[in-house]
Amino acid sequence: MPATEYQGSFLGRISIRRNQVVSMDGNHEQELEDLEIFQKNISDRFSDLLSDDSSSSSSSSEPFLSIAWVRKLLDVYLCCEAEFKAVLIMGRDPSLISKPPLDRVLPELLDRSVKALDICNAVMHGVDSVRQCQKLAEIAVAALEQRPLGEGQARRAKKALAGLMTALGIDDKDSGSHKSTERAWSFGRRGGCGGGSAAKDRGLGQFRAPSWGVPKNWSAAKQIQSMSSNLVAPRGADSTGLAMPVYIMSIVTVFVMWALMAAIPCQERSGLASHFQVPRQLGWAQAMMSLHEKIGEEWKKKEKKGSGSFVGLLEEMQRMEKVGHSLMDFADGFQYPGEAERLEEAAAQAAELAETCRRMEEGLVPLQQQIREVFHRIVRSRTEVLDVLDQAGKPSAPSV
Amino acid sequence: MGDCGFTITNHEVQHHIAAAAQHILMALKACRNLTDDNRKVLSDLNSYLPNEMILGESGGGMLMDMEEQIRHSEGIIMRWESHEGMIWDSGLAQASEYLNSVREIQKIVVAIGGLPVPSGGKPRELCLRAHCILQIAMSKLEEELIHILIQHKQCYEPEYMSFRSCVEDVVYDESFVSAEDEAMESVSRGDNSGSSSEQCLVDLVRPEVISAIKSIADVMSASKHDKEFCRAFVGARKDALDEYLVILGMEQLTFEDAMKMDWKALSCEIKKWVWALRIIIRVYLRSEKWLCNQILGELGPVSLSCTFIEIAGAAMLLFLNFGEAVAMGPRQPERLFRVLDMYEVLADLLFDIDTLFIEDAGSFIRTEFHELLARLGNYVKGAFSEFRNCIASDQPRKAFSSGVHPFTNYAMNYIKTFTAYRETLDLLLRNPEEDGMDPSPETEKGAEDSSYSSCPLARHARLLASILEANLENRSKLLKDESLQHIFLMNNIHYMVKKIKDSDLRQYFGDEWIRKQIGTFQHHATDYIRATWSSALSLLNDSRRLDLNPFNRSTPRDKCKNFVAAFEEVYKSQTGCLVPDPELREDLQISTSQKVIQAYRSFLGKNSAQIGDKYIKYNADDMEKLVLDFFSGSSRSLRSSRRR
Repeated sequence: MPATEYQGSFLGRISIRRNQVVSMDGNHEQELEDLEIFQKNISDRFSDLLSDDSSSSSSSSEPFLSIAWVRKLLDVYLCCEAEFKAVLIMGRDPSLISKPPLDRVLPELLDRSVKALDICNAVMHGVDSVRQCQKLAEIAVAALEQRPLGEGQARRAKKALAGLMTALGIDDKDSGSHKSTERAWSFGRRGGCGGGSAAKDRGLGQFRAPSWGVPKNWSAAKQIQSMSSNLVAPRGADSTGLAMPVYIMSIVTVFVMWALMAAIPCQERSGLASHFQVPRQLGWAQAMMSLHEKIGEEWKKKEKKGSGSFVGLLEEMQRMEKVGHSLMDFADGFQYPGEAERLEEAAAQAAELAETCRRMEEGLVPLQQQIREVFHRIVRSRTEVLDVLDQAGKPSAPSV
Repeated sequence: MGDCGFTITNHEVQHHIAAAAQHILMALKACRNLTDDNRKVLSDLNSYLPNEMILGESGGGMLMDMEEQIRHSEGIIMRWESHEGMIWDSGLAQASEYLNSVREIQKIVVAIGGLPVPSGGKPRELCLRAHCILQIAMSKLEEELIHILIQHKQCYEPEYMSFRSCVEDVVYDESFVSAEDEAMESVSRGDNSGSSSEQCLVDLVRPEVISAIKSIADVMSASKHDKEFCRAFVGARKDALDEYLVILGMEQLTFEDAMKMDWKALSCEIKKWVWALRIIIRVYLRSEKWLCNQILGELGPVSLSCTFIEIAGAAMLLFLNFGEAVAMGPRQPERLFRVLDMYEVLADLLFDIDTLFIEDAGSFIRTEFHELLARLGNYVKGAFSEFRNCIASDQPRKAFSSGVHPFTNYAMNYIKTFTAYRETLDLLLRNPEEDGMDPSPETEKGAEDSSYSSCPLARHARLLASILEANLENRSKLLKDESLQHIFLMNNIHYMVKKIKDSDLRQYFGDEWIRKQIGTFQHHATDYIRATWSSALSLLNDSRRLDLNPFNRSTPRDKCKNFVAAFEEVYKSQTGCLVPDPELREDLQISTSQKVIQAYRSFLGKNSAQIGDKYIKYNADDMEKLVLDFFSGSSRSLRSSRRR
């Protein structure tokens, strides 16, 4: 999976030049130039993510917040990360890194990276629950594709769709129940299909065992909050030094993690939108800020509507929700042979659902692998930074 | 519903026979190895049957028959919809009746689908009705499946299941402040010994219900409900695994938690991980895969592996993540052995992991474990060199004079523990550039050059020993008294040698090294006696020839008096010295006697008359006895107690 479009030339240039430059002044100039390139690349990459959306509403292969788009976001992250390390570490004298303000901001960065690992892990499991939705939707599609469509298949579809609605966190009967999110994490629950007997409720409803993703008290919203709480832009002389790329990379990390958690099901995200702000008035952050606003708006819209119990902004999930709802209504009231118009409409929606499932089938496994790649990258970078700190003779590297 | 009371007319009997005959014919035709004669008979029969079975819209014949069959099956299926209990709980007869009804309906659906009738009308109506019943039955079967899987799941309980007792265990404390010999002995590797029983397959679901599950699988997949079946199966089995992990005591830790955890708690989690991973891979997941195979084997390899990975994936991630968290932790020497335990168990299980996840869908998990192994290996190397740095750079805060320094004790116990991990460490330390190790010339020529003494671990162990020795030299310099310096080095080097000689380390160091080190501490013994006694002994010397100044000449009586005073001084300090090893203590006492008492004895022999008995405070034998008080570690004084 060629996830990362490395800018080989960029990395190479930095290391070669840095080795040539000896004088302090020259070094600083060099630093400024590197920083400028770094910022520009970040700006470009995020603009790219932004333009993907404006160019199209549905025809693009990477609609906003779709699986493909999230994968692109992760690519962007991997690129930024690689360049960041080039700016920070490559060919640099380790002793520079142990001086203020880096001696303070680097441990903070490492601390943040550990928190990011937990987010990656939570999101990995989130993708699993998306896959559960996919499975249910596939069953619904299989049922609805039967011709002629009888009440039996309608019943089958309805059952699967009810499961899907539950998995999506939408519970028709007791909407607003805070239990519904929790339920979405377990295996999925039998919807009200057929004659509900006691035996039936004992059925699927029993899948309530703990899911090995994150501990029960873990909160995505709090995680983002704690990652961004100590994020302060470097001031004065620091703003042109190495503290700047560290700050920028921290913003990028928090933003990407935030966007991941907004898109993919995650535990406890109430108020996620307001827990992190992209700094304003910074050139490189403009595109990121626009993205942040867009996602935040989507989030607030959903939060208002779904009273906080929805699963994620992932485009495929949204589509699934919308089509699923409508198909659910269709299946619910279906009586053979059904109205031709309604049947046609449902067939089109089933096709859309099938298409969504196909995208999930294609995209979810690579997405998960990419999240894991990000995970490993963060681990590796953390080690590299610690090694440099170690070389710099810092007696005790932070334990976190 | 439920009008079960139906009568069978002659007419119906006829049609039953006809239907049955057609089933047989279809089955026979499907058979490939038929002779031509057989074929002819069959087609003759066939030509007869359709006449009998041609059906009209009037609804006679077979359709009537089908309708009756549907009604019958529907009765059975619907009865369970209003029934509280579960089918399989009510007995096998009930279950097979239910399954047969479902199969009948499935047959009818197939038969109607194959009928050359215009769409619509009675057949269509029957078909839709059959589908509807079938759907109800499928839902029911799904519930039954889950119910059976939950009711009849079994836990594998290894004999050593009571692992959680370890939580109360005293975790060894390697910090050299409190290191005692015993403390370190417990560092011995975590229980990695694989008993043969853990290789076995166990029944994760009671074997008697396997056929029930299989028949549900067959019936559901015949109606193209395999997705539903797999979902239910995966869900139930995944929950069972989750529960089992709870039983094993596995905890869901975040990376943040793991990084902040104190070492004692983390060490316990590591032991649990090592223990649980072995059970999960060797027994549980092997059995799980076997179960999947039994039940889903016929669905084809792809859906089989997908199902298995869906069941096992999250649990594997749990183990992987904990491993990663440990591997990215600070590289502290105290963690080395626990991480080695992790490395060894994983290296040992890697083949099993590769086999379990051999299919494409599992390649992700395989790769992750291989990478984790590499990272744990790096950690071990890092912690190993951290230990070396620790020995090299540990700076004493205050002088230490008595006995074996806890640091020596700690370091030697630490080095000794390497032998329990010999093969792994050999493998991991092989790379010479990793530590900037140049094979020392002494190793090259190594006389005894057994495979042990030339292995990477042996090279590292010898290097560590020499670094430790250098560290001890530095420490000894903090002592102002020269004889104390020698006692210190003697004690500690003797301890090192003894530790090596009496353990498996002997093979790594070789006899030559041991001989050399014995020479070293013996040298210190000689130096010690010289440094301790030279000034006292000089008092006994016949100084007349050396010292020409008559005023400096002392009489034998003075000499004796001065010597006794010096002896008492030395007595006070040397009884305060500690030589913990009894043999070494005895050797030193003997050497002291030989050197000092001997000189005193001959001095007295020559001069006793001149001195006069009453001026001889101790005779040589007295003094020899007093030497036996030396090196006990508690200072004594002769002046107050032993006055004559």
